[in-house]
Amino acid sequence: MKQVRQLLLSACVGMLLMSGAAFGADEPATAGDTTVAPAKAPAKDLILKGDAKCTGCHDEADEPVGRATMLELNPGVLAIATTRHGVKGDARTPTCTDCHGESKDHVGFKGKGKEKPPAPDRSFRKITETPAAERNAACLTCHKGDKRTHWEGSQHAANDVACNNCHKVHAEHDAVRDKRTQAEVCFTCHKNERADTHKVSTHPLAAGKMTCSDCHNLHGSAGPKLLKKNTLNETCFTCHAEKRGPFLWEHQPVTEDCSSCHTPHGSNITPLLKSRAPFMCSECHDGAHNSKAPYGPVAAGNQGGFVGTNPTENAGGRACMNCHSLIHGSNHPAGALLHR
Amino acid sequence: MRICKNEMRMGALSIAVSSALAVMFAAPMSAYAEETWEDEVAIIRHPTNYIEVGAENVSKDSAKFGEYNGLDKKGGKAIANISVRGGDAYEGGDGTMRWSLTGRDLGTTSRELGAAVGNQGRWNLNIGYDELRHNITDTYQTPLQGSMGGNVFTLPANFGTFVAQTAPSARTLDITSPNQLSAFHTEDVGTTRKNTSLGAGIILSPELSLKFDYNHLAQSGAKLMAGAALGGQLPTGGTGTWRAEAVAILMNPTNYNTDTFNLALNWKGEQGHLSGGYFGSFFKDGYDRLSYQNPMLSTGGTAPAGVYQTNTLSTAPDNQLHQLNVSGGYAFSPTTKLVGGISYGRNTQNASFLTGVPELVTTPQSSLNGVVVTKHFDLKLSNQTTRELMLGAALKYNERDNRTVSDTYLYRQLGNATYTGVNTPYSNKKTQLELAADYRLAVGQSLRLAYEREAIRRWCDKVADGYQCVASPASNEGKLGLGYRMKASDSVRFNVGYAYANRKGDFDSAYVANTGNRAHVTAPPTGSTVIVPSATYGNGVLNGGNFLGFAAQPYASRKQDILTAGVNWQASDKLDVDLSGRFSRDKYDSELGVQNGRTSSINLGATYTYNDENSVSAYATMKNSERELKMGATSTAAAGTGNTWAYAGVAATNFWTNQLKENSNTIGLNSKHTGLMGSKLELASDLSYSLDKSRYATQVPYLATCSAVGTLTCGDLPDIKNKVITLRLSGIYALDQASKVSVGYMYQQLKSEDYFYNWYQYGYTGLRGMPTNQTSGSYNVNVVSASYIYSFK
Repeated sequence: MKQVRQLLLSACVGMLLMSGAAFGADEPATAGDTTVAPAKAPAKDLILKGDAKCTGCHDEADEPVGRATMLELNPGVLAIATTRHGVKGDARTPTCTDCHGESKDHVGFKGKGKEKPPAPDRSFRKITETPAAERNAACLTCHKGDKRTHWEGSQHAANDVACNNCHKVHAEHDAVRDKRTQAEVCFTCHKNERADTHKVSTHPLAAGKMTCSDCHNLHGSAGPKLLKKNTLNETCFTCHAEKRGPFLWEHQPVTEDCSSCHTPHGSNITPLLKSRAPFMCSECHDGAHNSKAPYGPVAAGNQGGFVGTNPTENAGGRACMNCHSLIHGSNHPAGALLHR
Repeated sequence: MRICKNEMRMGALSIAVSSALAVMFAAPMSAYAEETWEDEVAIIRHPTNYIEVGAENVSKDSAKFGEYNGLDKKGGKAIANISVRGGDAYEGGDGTMRWSLTGRDLGTTSRELGAAVGNQGRWNLNIGYDELRHNITDTYQTPLQGSMGGNVFTLPANFGTFVAQTAPSARTLDITSPNQLSAFHTEDVGTTRKNTSLGAGIILSPELSLKFDYNHLAQSGAKLMAGAALGGQLPTGGTGTWRAEAVAILMNPTNYNTDTFNLALNWKGEQGHLSGGYFGSFFKDGYDRLSYQNPMLSTGGTAPAGVYQTNTLSTAPDNQLHQLNVSGGYAFSPTTKLVGGISYGRNTQNASFLTGVPELVTTPQSSLNGVVVTKHFDLKLSNQTTRELMLGAALKYNERDNRTVSDTYLYRQLGNATYTGVNTPYSNKKTQLELAADYRLAVGQSLRLAYEREAIRRWCDKVADGYQCVASPASNEGKLGLGYRMKASDSVRFNVGYAYANRKGDFDSAYVANTGNRAHVTAPPTGSTVIVPSATYGNGVLNGGNFLGFAAQPYASRKQDILTAGVNWQASDKLDVDLSGRFSRDKYDSELGVQNGRTSSINLGATYTYNDENSVSAYATMKNSERELKMGATSTAAAGTGNTWAYAGVAATNFWTNQLKENSNTIGLNSKHTGLMGSKLELASDLSYSLDKSRYATQVPYLATCSAVGTLTCGDLPDIKNKVITLRLSGIYALDQASKVSVGYMYQQLKSEDYFYNWYQYGYTGLRGMPTNQTSGSYNVNVVSASYIYSFK
């Protein structure tokens, strides 16, 4: 009987050792701890320096069946290794606690079974008690200045948008930083703009050839509507430099505000127009020539029911711009009326 | 376990057995665990690289469908995508090197290719190439000969002259000349943008870094634009009146090159940061003109003076922008921060003016020597006064100071009349003050109060003949907003906001527009600022605000109300429902011009994410807008004194109104499923439908015959209606760990009804319009694709 008991004891020790080996990413044994004969290997950092505190958790040495490690629980979290935040060799790389806080309650959690630990000090989950400002502060500790100079007080900050509402820090693919997928992230909130991009006249967002951040600095800017440049026109001229001029003959609204005539995200009237000539032109011009004249279905020509001899070029097709075609400005010495 | 431990009484035998068991079981298990663990971590640590090759087939030609995606032509296209990353930074050691090579859509004209290498924390370098073909139309027809992208267009020698016909079926084409119809040919019109970029950054110290990027944008191809010339004979055939509105639609070349430079030095300290940089943009146009043979002029006939065989349009002039920027911030305390920036830019344009064209009479200089100085300043102070209260104050200033010299230019306008033009270099400056307070009323509840004040000034410096150049020299707008957000429960968030804005625009009746013929100007009498109408021309020198009480929409006094509201219900970790709306109302104070406007939108969306990678979502957006315009067709000025012109300070008569109503409805449904068939299959779908309608309606109460089919100056125009349906299906099946097969299907339909194109159809142009037969581009296109993806770590 004694031998049987000794064998059982030996099996107990062996199993303990096995479990210790299998869950090798444990906390290191405390100094002077002589309660367990074979010392466990200290937990290893999986990805980041010092991350063993987190990635090696949930593995109580005195529990034969410990709970899963982070590797098993949520391997996706460890995809941070494929990102810039996962480069150990960069001295600036944060540890888990740099972003999530020391989280003593979370780390010290002793629950059993399926009990869930309290959230870390700073939780970046979709549903979280951590205020957006606090989450953002964690990011801004390092990411300050440059493109984020104007974050405080910006539209996004004022509306409690947190960095992790748009960014996936632990993911290999951060959709908002990919030209092909960024717009979908923005459309999560900006639904009117999503609808606009379905219209017949758009910038090439749907084709993935342009992104919201080509024009906007989502982290705050000195320009209107979070535009990257100081003014709307400066932003437009980044790509449409041919309209920058200065021209000999300027069209005043072009020099002041492209959005007097155009709408950037999409329009039912090509090309990205807020309205159609001649009606759009009549919103500003009541002067010489025909800008003060009324037009009805004659603008649709014979196909619109007109039977006269001359469907007018003042209202048909480009209407005013059938003649005033250099509408963004002309550099022709004979082009004051923007004809040439 | 504690009990077990306390009761252990180990003898030599038990220790020996224990040790043996440990050696037998623990060692190999440990080794196994270690290997598995390391492998798993290594897999996670390394990025997923892939190479994708395949083919796709497009069912039909359609420039509109292929507007930006490179799939404008029927037939096969290659699929080629690549993403490869590497470097010792992924090894988990001390390495910091990373490199990447990416290529997308390499088989189409939407291709892009990029490479980057960097030593993280030290330096980085990247290069890129991005191509975008913007297909504008494939139905445009023209008799003009010359390649798309070129700047000289001529007619066939036997073309003859457009002679207007009264019958619509024959209008604009001389049916006695078969050479005309046969000269028309179809062109694929579009522009191609090729972007080449180079970027670099170096971290000089933990505080100091330097960034540089360069971009070269080469554009080719053309966009359509109209060209107007003197020409076009009345139906009597060769003996009628020549008109200045002979319209031809032309391929305006976009032979552009734009080089852009950015250089910035960034400093980052514990409490502050500062960036100083240079931005340079250099635009060059390969052509200085677009010339085309006048189709309204018989090559064999005798034309009156001023009807030119060849007409010339200017192209975009070369220009440069140099801008210096400094921005920075300083945290006085953890709760008080000041940020700001200053910019100074110099935009110049000195392209040579056109010479050798007959319309010129006196050009005072050979080039504009245009100079615009832009200035910007901003300062923002934010303070977290208490845990509950956040205050912010910002001041912004932007100035566009056009220092170009104003001069007098004499030439012949399209109608061959002499024209005296004075260029008016427009300047403006805007000052904005923004104040905001966010107050946390209670846990989950906050209030935001914001006030904005905007002042705009507009002017021209030293206009050659001294006239004031802008209708509205100043406008001021105040805007007050109130917002409330509430977290009603753990799962329900609610927000509502209201803003009121009041803009006051000044109007100066003494202004003379850029487009005013100075020969028609009669100076105001001493002591008056009102321009006296010319006996012949009235004062057609104005161009917006001619009638008493008219104000151009961007500058008119306006009151605006904006109401927003939204609710988000996070029903569970998986289900998210969102409803939001926005309503705005504009009321203009001016008697004539835009009178009012309204917009409303409602958005409804729901996403069910049944695990991290699988979701179904649906959304719907409804938008409506309206605006009303009121105008006068004539003035109270006596006939014979330029009654065809409008007069400043003279009341309008014969009022008419016009409404624009727009409706937009979009719905979408998409889903993503992974982990099917033992994690081998991924499926995704995306279905969207959008319907947009724009309708203009005009009322002309003073004219009883306005609705007669021979005039039709009143009534509803046909809707501009565009319906787009898109269905995308894709599936990826993993053959093994490294190989996947991807198949995809896309269907897209555009049904476009737009009266815009009516006027350009054969037989339906005006008497002086050259047809293009261009259509709106409705299409039904199917695309199927199949590709093989090889992925590796």
